[in-house]
Amino acid sequence: MTRRFAVSAAILVVLVAAGVFAWRTRETPNEREIRSRLDALRNEVNTSTKDGIGVALHAAQIGGYFTEDAIVELGEGAAPITGRETIMGMVARLQPRTAAFRMDLDDITMEMTPGATTADVLLTASFARRSISTGEESLDAREYALVMTRTDGTWRIARITAIDTLR
Amino acid sequence: MRIVVLATLSFIIFKWVLIPLRAEGISMEPTYQSGSLHLVNRLAYRYRKPARGDIVGIKLAGPHVLYVKRIIGLPGEHLAIERGQVYVNGAPLSEPYVKNRRDWDVAEVTLTAREYYVIGDNRGMRAADHDFGRVDVSRILGRVIF
Repeated sequence: MTRRFAVSAAILVVLVAAGVFAWRTRETPNEREIRSRLDALRNEVNTSTKDGIGVALHAAQIGGYFTEDAIVELGEGAAPITGRETIMGMVARLQPRTAAFRMDLDDITMEMTPGATTADVLLTASFARRSISTGEESLDAREYALVMTRTDGTWRIARITAIDTLR
Repeated sequence: MRIVVLATLSFIIFKWVLIPLRAEGISMEPTYQSGSLHLVNRLAYRYRKPARGDIVGIKLAGPHVLYVKRIIGLPGEHLAIERGQVYVNGAPLSEPYVKNRRDWDVAEVTLTAREYYVIGDNRGMRAADHDFGRVDVSRILGRVIF
């Protein structure tokens, strides 16, 4: 009887814990959509291309993840990058170098504003780079705050602000 | 039944108590080599405050990517680095774990009641390539114990 009770209690605790975990990690459709957009952006950034048309197409596709008037603030000492066109130009220029690194997005959390047309997103972006000379891989990680807006039914990045974890 | 209990316990321990991490990069050399595996004890500071010399995990947006750094400055202290030597409240700090030093210079900073000063052990690299500085106590996830 005691053993049966212990087994039942343990199973109940596991089920309750699993339920609480599932409830706490549940996502709304908008949140799922934003996460999916960020996953797609990551995949696009990690796609390597070097020929002229490919680079232009690649830059245009990445530009599609940003609003027309998007602003990217990379922190102290760097002027903000303003506008989708500028971002696309930078992506096209950086492409030969981006081919040497891989980007990952971790710890994505988000908060929807009332009306669900804007979302504040917090994430860690990691850039793994492999040295051409030594072959060694190095990892740079930085925290970013994103503002995403829903325009024409699609979530796009309106602002990226780099956060200094260590000051 | 045992498997379920074991799996549940492992899940709880490795999610909320001991966070496994793999060191990436050279900023904590020679203490930790790039690629080495460690554990962060999230409960380490439940009953005591972080201390000077502790190696801690510092969260960025969450617990999956962490900075691993050593605490060299405590809340309220004045800290400066002159030609690679760390000064705390004007006195030089003994750091036997630092094997190579470059001439880093950091103007004196005063830490607030919620701030610690953290840095890696590898001072032989360029300061510009090394992430270090003040960190809010809320970002310290736990102590690296292994």
